[in-house]
Amino acid sequence: MTINVFQAALLGLCACLSSMPGMGGTTFGNYTLGRPLVAGLVVGLILGNVPMGIFLGAAVQLVYIALVTPGGTVSADVRAISYIGIPLAMLYVSAAGLDPATSAAQDMAVTLASTVGTLGTVLFYGTATVNLVWQHIGWRNVEKGNLKSLYLVDMVFPWISHILCSFIPTFIICYFGSNMVQLIQSYLPMDGIIMKTLFTVGSLLPAVGVAILLKQVVTSPKDFLTFFFGFTLCGCMGLNLIGCAIVAGFFALIKYQISCAALRPATAGAASGDDDDEEDI
Amino acid sequence: MKKLSKKALNKSFLNWFYGHLTCFSQEHMQTFGYMLAMLPILQDLYETNEEQTEKMQTYTAFFNTEPQVGSVVVGITAGMEEARANGEPVDGETINGIRAGLMGPLAGIGDSLVVGTVIPILLGIALSLSGGGSPLGAIFYILVWNIGMFLIMRLLYFKGYEMGGKAVEFLVGEKANAIREAIVMIGTMVIGGVTASWVSISTAFKMVGSNGETIVDLQSTLDTVYPHILSALFVLLCWWLMSKKKMSPIVVMLLLVVIAFVGVLVGFFDPGLSY
Repeated sequence: MTINVFQAALLGLCACLSSMPGMGGTTFGNYTLGRPLVAGLVVGLILGNVPMGIFLGAAVQLVYIALVTPGGTVSADVRAISYIGIPLAMLYVSAAGLDPATSAAQDMAVTLASTVGTLGTVLFYGTATVNLVWQHIGWRNVEKGNLKSLYLVDMVFPWISHILCSFIPTFIICYFGSNMVQLIQSYLPMDGIIMKTLFTVGSLLPAVGVAILLKQVVTSPKDFLTFFFGFTLCGCMGLNLIGCAIVAGFFALIKYQISCAALRPATAGAASGDDDDEEDI
Repeated sequence: MKKLSKKALNKSFLNWFYGHLTCFSQEHMQTFGYMLAMLPILQDLYETNEEQTEKMQTYTAFFNTEPQVGSVVVGITAGMEEARANGEPVDGETINGIRAGLMGPLAGIGDSLVVGTVIPILLGIALSLSGGGSPLGAIFYILVWNIGMFLIMRLLYFKGYEMGGKAVEFLVGEKANAIREAIVMIGTMVIGGVTASWVSISTAFKMVGSNGETIVDLQSTLDTVYPHILSALFVLLCWWLMSKKKMSPIVVMLLLVVIAFVGVLVGFFDPGLSY
């Protein structure tokens, strides 16, 4: 399997659309095209082997299921994972003659994707930095009253950032990908220490993603009890996520009713003791 | 009495839906997306370019929240802008106070509910539909997530618009706090479940006796203490480093690379890779 100019360009375009912040918007870009499972389908279509794309994309998705970027902090770059990592993994797997359904092939995909995903965070900061130029232009125009230029600033100019930081890197790496995976194959054996380290890093990275989320929601130590309650439901009691969400919903309902019960006497007292203005605040 | 046209509202919503993060920088995350979403509103309410420019100054303030749930804030400000155009006592400060006040609470709901709960659950279902290399799972995710989110964001936007400033009472009042805390609790629990289900950190450390039998198999010992304990410990470690030691995620990742390398060297980690 090789990647021709046309295929590399399509992968580059997908990288522009799928990144965070990307030209596909958050919902369809980052949270759809950027998810490795969806990327598995897309890359599989571009390279002409959908089942292989899905097998490898699903394996990578397992690692990044809790990948989040709250407040502009990233622990991995989705465009690099999905549109550099997965194509390279497909090249590698077909060059090594592995069956994509085997764990050897899928482990390789995870290792490659998480390595380029981590290195790819550079692309995230690059894009955001180039965007500063367009924002600068934007501020000037807003001051001058040239408001329609906001469309250019928000939706057209950032394409330039993405051509520089998404399209070109993806295009080059994918286009020369088959040479690259040959190098990896000959110099970095799978059971060597570097590959083992990279793979281990891949399995540790999701912990960063979850920790970023936790940082958002944990406000007091007792919230960790809630976290471990969910952890115990799935980890020790074997519930799946839907089951866990339903149990969580039940407890949330109880919590809500308790809070409401605690509120009621206070508001009732305020309403009877004071005039109605108090309630509008 | 000025009334926003359906067309202007739709355009404003679409500008937000697509453009909230397209021109992202660390300095002004969603500010430009927000201004673009307000542009059709201002053009519809105010005749002259001078007036539009003047009102646009309100929206030059920094904005960043979870964009899916944050859709409601754009709707609210559209409603408030309409009120301002009709001479009601609403000024730029009121609008910005509300925007700033809603950013944080909504980011909390959005991150725990959308990113921490809905997406992992949908992806979990999609993965189970992907057996044998079937594209069904990916197609399921693409359809359900996009259609569902578009409709939900649209609903939030228009509810926000209808209620205008009054929505704030619903979003940050005492009752709203109770609802928000309950939602964040669902999120926190499911994030715990996600950790147990999808973060899989295990050790390969074994102590082997002289006659070849295993004396200590650390992973199975740990599993009898508390299953998946290593995954939980690593999450706690990362959380501690980021929130208590104020490390950036990048530094934490580099630290993990070091931990992984040392761990592989001493035989604590061994992914068991082979051709």
